[in-house]
Amino acid sequence: MATEKIKLPKDLMDKVRRYAAMSGYSSAEEFIAHCLEKEIGQIEESSSEDEIKKKLKGLGYIG
Amino acid sequence: MNEKRLTRRDFLKNGAAAASLLAAGTKARAGTSAKTAGLAARRTPKQKILVLGFDGMDPHLTDIWMREGKLPTFRKLASEGGYRRLATSIPPQSPVAWSNFIAGTNPGGHGIYDFIHRDPKSYFPIFSATETTEAEKTVRIGNLVIPIKGGQVRNLRRGRAFWQVLEDGDIPATIFKMPANYPPVRTKQRTLSGLGTPDIYGNYNTFHFYTTESQAVNEDIGGGEIHQVYVIGNRVDAKIPGPVNTFRKDRPTTEIDLKVYLDPASPVAKVVLPGQEIILKEKEWSDWVRLRFPLIPTQSVSGICRFYLKEVRPQFKLFLSSINIDPADAALPIATPPSYAEELARRFGPFYTKGLPAETQALDNGVFDEEEFLEQDDQVLAETRAIIDYELDRFDTGFLFAYVSSTDQRQHMFWRLLDPRHPAYDEAIAAKFGNVIERTYAEADSILASAMAKAGKETLVMVMSDHGFNPYARSFNLNTWLLEAGYHAFKNPFKREELELAFASTDWSKTKAYGLGLNGLYINERGREAEGIVAAGADKDNLVHEICRKLEEYRDPKTGEQVVLRAYAAKDVYTGVAAESAPDIVLGFNRGHRISFQSPLGRIPREIMEDNTAKWSGDHMGAAELLSGILFANEPVKAEAPALYDVTATILDRFSLPKTPEMIGRTVL
Repeated sequence: MATEKIKLPKDLMDKVRRYAAMSGYSSAEEFIAHCLEKEIGQIEESSSEDEIKKKLKGLGYIG
Repeated sequence: MNEKRLTRRDFLKNGAAAASLLAAGTKARAGTSAKTAGLAARRTPKQKILVLGFDGMDPHLTDIWMREGKLPTFRKLASEGGYRRLATSIPPQSPVAWSNFIAGTNPGGHGIYDFIHRDPKSYFPIFSATETTEAEKTVRIGNLVIPIKGGQVRNLRRGRAFWQVLEDGDIPATIFKMPANYPPVRTKQRTLSGLGTPDIYGNYNTFHFYTTESQAVNEDIGGGEIHQVYVIGNRVDAKIPGPVNTFRKDRPTTEIDLKVYLDPASPVAKVVLPGQEIILKEKEWSDWVRLRFPLIPTQSVSGICRFYLKEVRPQFKLFLSSINIDPADAALPIATPPSYAEELARRFGPFYTKGLPAETQALDNGVFDEEEFLEQDDQVLAETRAIIDYELDRFDTGFLFAYVSSTDQRQHMFWRLLDPRHPAYDEAIAAKFGNVIERTYAEADSILASAMAKAGKETLVMVMSDHGFNPYARSFNLNTWLLEAGYHAFKNPFKREELELAFASTDWSKTKAYGLGLNGLYINERGREAEGIVAAGADKDNLVHEICRKLEEYRDPKTGEQVVLRAYAAKDVYTGVAAESAPDIVLGFNRGHRISFQSPLGRIPREIMEDNTAKWSGDHMGAAELLSGILFANEPVKAEAPALYDVTATILDRFSLPKTPEMIGRTVL
């Protein structure tokens, strides 16, 4: 799998390492990837819900 | 610049699924008439059959107004031919019911159970009728995304449409605005899609309302967008949003400049669009206006709309109708052959192509008053009548179906004025508009009279509706009921604010059932749902029967009335190849009751029951036993209890054509 580097503030990175270890993640990278995937999933779900709501609202049956 | 109009193939390739602006097939160019394109080689059977479909026409009201002599043509037809109540589908939703007629079977055969289905892997609502996919392969050149292979919009109904069977038998057919046939199934017959056909955004309805009245601005209204504007020096500057431009990498919304110049002295305004100007008086509608949204230098997409200048002063209020697919240059597949829509457009000019053209949401949200709503829907009805007359005038052989939507839409909006006990009843409005439904039925009678005269005595004429109508006074929040009955569980029961999102707070590891759609209830089944916990087989069957019993036992705390008259277990009512995808339980509401406006997408308000104070006050989500439609014929109807799919069988039988193996009906004559 191709990977890329990103930059994070040192304070935040320290917290990430601490909580990743506390939560049982094998690495800070795994913790960050998990958080991002979860957040992206929520955004995607919410925008597709908005989309379907917008389409269906025009019918009049839902509010 | 040599701008090329966007063909359906181009659009499809681009996979404009974000706006559902998709289309299929190659565009047949104008100039090829439908007759020469598809029908010239057909045989000309002596038998002619005309079916008129009046959506939602209710037998109780029909009986009353026939008795009172207000529907003389229906009365004559009943006495000289036949009249029966027509058993509707379970549930009696239009896409389901009309699919029963189209495919000649029950939902277990055609697979359409509701406006909304669900994805068991995400518990997320999905469209039941169509599926859109984006372009699979694209190349990027700078800021442009160029499609190479791609997307499509697919009609999800299973089974053959009866006019495809007629085609097999060389029987020519014209199908005008058949509901639940978007995109139209592949055929050489003349067909124009009906209910389900989207506007230019891919929505069922999206009006725009430009106003200076700040208190009117609430962006989250159903079916429309409110735009706050300012009058500066007697001029208003605004934009008309178009479809998403999927040719661009960042997928921006296209838009057109809209300028309005107000006469300083009179209630008159000039609407200025690129290349055209329209002068409107206050309370005046424009003719159809063609809008062209640019996508990339060589591509654009065309839509049609009408403006209504509601008020010039003291507040400025300009209404823009839903932007319909342009039948003369359709970027979406709305007709077979494609030249049929173009042919009608050449003859009549632009016309409503959106599935349900009445601006019900403008009335429901206070943008329109009753008079304005009716004026707009009168335009719809006049267009419909003109096209039906045109088709009847050239109807010399085979089969013709014609559909009228106003009967359904006006009952949804005006039922509140029939009953002073309805929560949305208004005495003053009732005095003026209390007879709208009766007048609409009289209009249906007039359409029938004209059709009977034109069809001639040798034609078999049948008149049908897909379901009847009931009052909608009390709302049922299904998921709230499931929660309180212990079948649905929250991760954190105290975080009620999260309930606005569909199942955002649901703890699926403790949830046995959930409601999605207008009538559907699903068991959280292990192996089927992503986090299912109920084992298929006896455990699930027992749970289904337990929930059905409790739903039927539930009483409205305010009125003491039974809310769910029949909770149908899917296993008891559906057969066929698509029965596996049915909701596990279908709710058949009692008269006066319906699912709430919030529940169909999985929201969980605090109260189980609420008053319905909306103008959307009549509905048909009830038990099928309460909501039969009508069937009239100019021959005796021998069947005592005909159903929608029996009308299909009757049509094929009259043309001596065999039913498909999936069709379950029997001739009614």
